[in-house]
Amino acid sequence: MAAAAASAAAATAAEDGARLLRLEEQAGHGGGGAWEYLCLARRLRARRPEPVLRLGLALLNDSSARSRLASEQWTLYEQVAVAAMDCQRLDVAKDCIGVLSKQFPGSMRVGRLEALLFEAKGEWTDAERAYALILENNPFDQIVHKRKIAIAKAQGDMALAVEYLNKYLELFMADHDAWRELAETYVALQMYKQAAFCYEELILAQPTVPLYHLAYAEVLYTMGGLENLQTARKYYASTIQLTGGKNTRALFGVCLCSSAINQLTKGRNKEEESSELQSLAAEALLKDYKQRAPSKEALITSLLKNMKLS
Amino acid sequence: MAEELVLDTAIRDWVLVPLSVVMVLIGVLRYFVAKLMRSPSASPSPDPKLVKEGQVVIRARNLRINSQYIPAKAFKSRKVYYTNEENGLLHVPKEEAQKAQAAMFSDPNMAMDMMKKNLSMIVPQTLTFAWVNFFFSGFVAAKIPFPLTPRFRGMLQNGIDLSTVDVSYVSSRSWYFLNLFGLRGLFSLILGEENANDDAQKMMQMGGGFGGNPTMGLAAEKDNLDIIQHDWALPKMEHHAEEVLRKLLKK
Repeated sequence: MAAAAASAAAATAAEDGARLLRLEEQAGHGGGGAWEYLCLARRLRARRPEPVLRLGLALLNDSSARSRLASEQWTLYEQVAVAAMDCQRLDVAKDCIGVLSKQFPGSMRVGRLEALLFEAKGEWTDAERAYALILENNPFDQIVHKRKIAIAKAQGDMALAVEYLNKYLELFMADHDAWRELAETYVALQMYKQAAFCYEELILAQPTVPLYHLAYAEVLYTMGGLENLQTARKYYASTIQLTGGKNTRALFGVCLCSSAINQLTKGRNKEEESSELQSLAAEALLKDYKQRAPSKEALITSLLKNMKLS
Repeated sequence: MAEELVLDTAIRDWVLVPLSVVMVLIGVLRYFVAKLMRSPSASPSPDPKLVKEGQVVIRARNLRINSQYIPAKAFKSRKVYYTNEENGLLHVPKEEAQKAQAAMFSDPNMAMDMMKKNLSMIVPQTLTFAWVNFFFSGFVAAKIPFPLTPRFRGMLQNGIDLSTVDVSYVSSRSWYFLNLFGLRGLFSLILGEENANDDAQKMMQMGGGFGGNPTMGLAAEKDNLDIIQHDWALPKMEHHAEEVLRKLLKK
């Protein structure tokens, strides 16, 4: 049931994505539908700043189109401002935010945009002060908390980013995107034990996402040690199961884990039954390479031979 | 009860139609009044403790449901983290639980909120009911075009104590009740989907306000976590993966 629902959701998401691209094409060639495109982009939270900036700005500069949007135009101003900052068109962003702050003086949403503009300019202290001001009024603004983490990251201060993330997760501990960010940050800092914890949390939250299983396996493999390697291979196996054997990384992972385990347990109690998985994975790899990259087949054969798998 | 009752057309013009129109108008008015009363406290800052507890419950539920996907060691450490008796996330000290419950009932703010919400519902209802009762009680106002079993008498002939009248005749007071509860679909057409007139929803909210004590959610989740057995599913995954690969290779 859950799997069916998930696949249905994935199907509609793919459909929406295709529609987004189609509308982008159409609007980009002057075929109309710019507003539909912008609405869809906003709903899907697609990050396509260039077309959004181009089409949105065209709409905003056309006064009759703008008046037709009525109160919707303010949302458009916001959307265009964010897209402009993404494209480093800070002049456009500044104009949009200026219009908005004239329309909604003292609004928190506009305040967020202003702080974002500071960020885009690289004025970190100003941005942080602006965010702190917002947080004073509304300490549960998740977006602002996340922006603060982003500032720390943009400045290259990973330790601070981790600290902020931990503080954030203490409050919003069901936010799996934040867990993912923390996991990736820990991996970047080579703090694998903590990263493994985060990936466990992610697997708990969304056990059907193969990427989390894969990442967890990779962290475990990197940590090394017999027990971790065995666990890693299990998670590589579950990735294979979840992706239907299409994930090359997981296939390689199984091979690498198996050969590492073999090296560690050399001579001593040979692993039973599991040997089949690695030879199967090796075979699947070979077949995959034969089909899609025949020129590299020799490479993979020698690699597998080195691991004594084929 | 064979003979047909003849309903005066004046009843249609002066009772049936006005009553329906008034009910609709009152519903619309109530919607706007409720909106007005709600707007000042549009975004009440959520209690940090409530936010956190809600998130803890979600996370603990994830652990309970998907525990088979993480290694035993990871599960055990998490279980201790959530349920230990000293400072586990799900552990609620007894006195605090009682205090929370007491605060729930004595919090004047909340009572005020509820009063406001109910006021916009109860006052017009009492008024209209009194009005209907005063002017149009005790006579038949309409006839529905299909026969019904006598069990519907209480619903359709409220205010008429005659057992000989056919059940398909509707008394005026019953017409009021039918309108009161039956106009919800019409309101959602007029006022948009999330109109404030959904009485049933309001009742639910009221019930939830008292019953949905967050500390109770924590305690329940803790009990659930305490009893589950960890059964790691991953060893089986290796066999599944083998099967998957075998199938893939055969193709």
